[in-house]
Amino acid sequence: MDLPPLSQQQLAAIVTSASTPAELYRTLSDYEAEACLLSSQDSNQAELLSLYYSTFFFSHLLTDQIYEARISTKRMPQGLLQHDPSLQNCLNLLRAVWQRKYEQVYQVLRELPWSDPLKPIVQSYEAYFQEKTLKEISKAYEAIRPAAAATYLGLDPVTAAQADSTTVQKLTAYGWTWDQETGLLHPKPVVEDPQKDDRLYNELSEVMALIGNRRS
Amino acid sequence: MAELLSHVTSVSSRLRSVDKISDDRYDCQLRDLVTYIKQSDKNFDSEYLLNNLNPSHHTLSYLLMLNFKIKYLQNKRRTVLPEELKPGNDLWVKAVLFFRTFDPIQVRYAGGEWRQLIEIIGQAAEATAKPFLAVQVIRDAMLRLDPSSGILTSVHIIFLRLSLLSRSYSYALPVIGKPVIWFPTGSVQAYKKYIEQPLCSELVSMDSLLSDSFGFSAKLTYRDHTQYFLYGAMVYMALKEWDKSLHWLSIVISSPVNDSVSKIMVEAYKKWVLVSLLGHGKLVTAPKIISSHVLKVFQSLAKPYLSLSEAFERNDLQRLRLEADVGQSIWRHDNNEGLVSQLFHAHKSFLFLKLGRTFSALTAADVAQQAFTPLDSSSKIEEFVAALVMSGSLRATLVHLHGRGNGTMLHFSRLPEPYITRERCMRTQLAKEGRALEIITNGADQCSNELMMGNENLQLVSKNQKWPDTLGKDGCNIIGEADGGGYEIDEDIMGDNSK
Repeated sequence: MDLPPLSQQQLAAIVTSASTPAELYRTLSDYEAEACLLSSQDSNQAELLSLYYSTFFFSHLLTDQIYEARISTKRMPQGLLQHDPSLQNCLNLLRAVWQRKYEQVYQVLRELPWSDPLKPIVQSYEAYFQEKTLKEISKAYEAIRPAAAATYLGLDPVTAAQADSTTVQKLTAYGWTWDQETGLLHPKPVVEDPQKDDRLYNELSEVMALIGNRRS
Repeated sequence: MAELLSHVTSVSSRLRSVDKISDDRYDCQLRDLVTYIKQSDKNFDSEYLLNNLNPSHHTLSYLLMLNFKIKYLQNKRRTVLPEELKPGNDLWVKAVLFFRTFDPIQVRYAGGEWRQLIEIIGQAAEATAKPFLAVQVIRDAMLRLDPSSGILTSVHIIFLRLSLLSRSYSYALPVIGKPVIWFPTGSVQAYKKYIEQPLCSELVSMDSLLSDSFGFSAKLTYRDHTQYFLYGAMVYMALKEWDKSLHWLSIVISSPVNDSVSKIMVEAYKKWVLVSLLGHGKLVTAPKIISSHVLKVFQSLAKPYLSLSEAFERNDLQRLRLEADVGQSIWRHDNNEGLVSQLFHAHKSFLFLKLGRTFSALTAADVAQQAFTPLDSSSKIEEFVAALVMSGSLRATLVHLHGRGNGTMLHFSRLPEPYITRERCMRTQLAKEGRALEIITNGADQCSNELMMGNENLQLVSKNQKWPDTLGKDGCNIIGEADGGGYEIDEDIMGDNSK
């Protein structure tokens, strides 16, 4: 029940031990009250707060809670948010994700300076964002130019525009087809695994039993 | 002090389960404990006692001692919020520990003290500009006391207010996601005195503790009721769950009225106009339960909002901008600026949905002609449309064209969603409705029993028993009707004859 005290080591342990992004988000949520009691005026605590809030911010993004991620930035100590480089990077990332500016998203993730403890979660988010975008463009586009696909997926659009074989190979590896004549890629919709909702079947059986009881 | 400690620790939830103490005996022990602590000499060292009590085993003693200590400090320092109660300080930590671990059975004997502690925690967090700190604690305490959270109490209102103040909207969902089916009552039904179980019995459900006399809720007013649903709607607005927000707002605007509507209802109606535009692209029909004169009052008091909605629905972007600019001070005054600013994006999105109903395919250039200003570049249009399609708001596909520069074609989809997606949505919806149905049927059963055994019905039965000709002309007995027996024949007639 009692959580170990919040510290940089504890945060690193939480990030490495969480088996799913949802678990990471839940554990970090439980620490928000403790973080709220720390002072951003104290330099040691400010460093811990910066790491905590940045990690918590990424846990929102990894669980696709964009609105909540935005709201969480309003709950952070506003002085810290304005001056801390990591939190400023988070704000830039949020703006890019919110506005669906794909180039900027990859730019922020790859080019802005992230502190060492944050690098693993930044890389996890980049992989997550790329995979999510791939699923979305597979559903949204029937045919797409390689340069556009490259922009969405954080690949080099200039080489992709020249139908560079490496880029095309990367995209066809996802099951897309390449029409050399038209110079267009045809994405293959990604079908989600439907075997995840046994719980729903059980609940439905309960509903049917309930209706049965009412009739008798 | 050791003697006092041994007395207040003599009643423990752990000992009860080990010694298998009967409900009646445990009930007596708990009542005696309350009397003992309340009547004892107040010179005891509550600090020592609190440090030696386990809040999960000795919940009742711990709660009463904590309240005693708070009152003592309030009197000593002559302030409602002594320093020790502020977040992070000694009494705050003890209160948080209590709310995380208390025994929901023992706490039934001190409902008033439980609520007072919640209230003071909320005040302390708000006074130090850290309302968030109270949100998690109060939420966990509410769900620990009543996991169904189906009874509206004054604590619900405090909790939602703090959630809004601290912008911790998603933290409120575990509470507001549960349907409210009971309201605290001022009196206890007479029949309960005869079939009453000891308060500590597992058979006593939370709704039996509804009466104001148990103290879990302060007396609720009409204003509290409407305020709770308005707050809940605002939480859903912040999370952009428009349909849920509309539902909560519709509860507020359709609340019963005598002569005049309340200010909260008018505020809710204004938000209801904006939320229906954001969620449905049009002003949805007002609930039929609202009488026409009330609706007219709403409409006359929310004229600027209705003008805005008219411009929105007529796809008149220029007028929409004009109305939004002209009414700026009104939106600011009503705290609706945020909602109004979202109308422009929503307007564009709904234009696309409308285009999809007219056309089956359009090029980006055609889209600019139909929905945007011709000055918008085709790449900007594609960006906007792609965002709508990729987020799932618009059912369409995009096709990059070969040999036409950077041309893009938009195909609006009329095909139903894939079978798997539809089935999964349907199953989720059914399971959700099923859960709600279960809660409502249980509530309806209980309500029916309450009505049958309620004071009014018992009075009627007793009055009828005094008359020898209680049996009606058709030979049907009122008592029979009251227990549902009078309707059995109807049910048989309507039954399946093929059986």
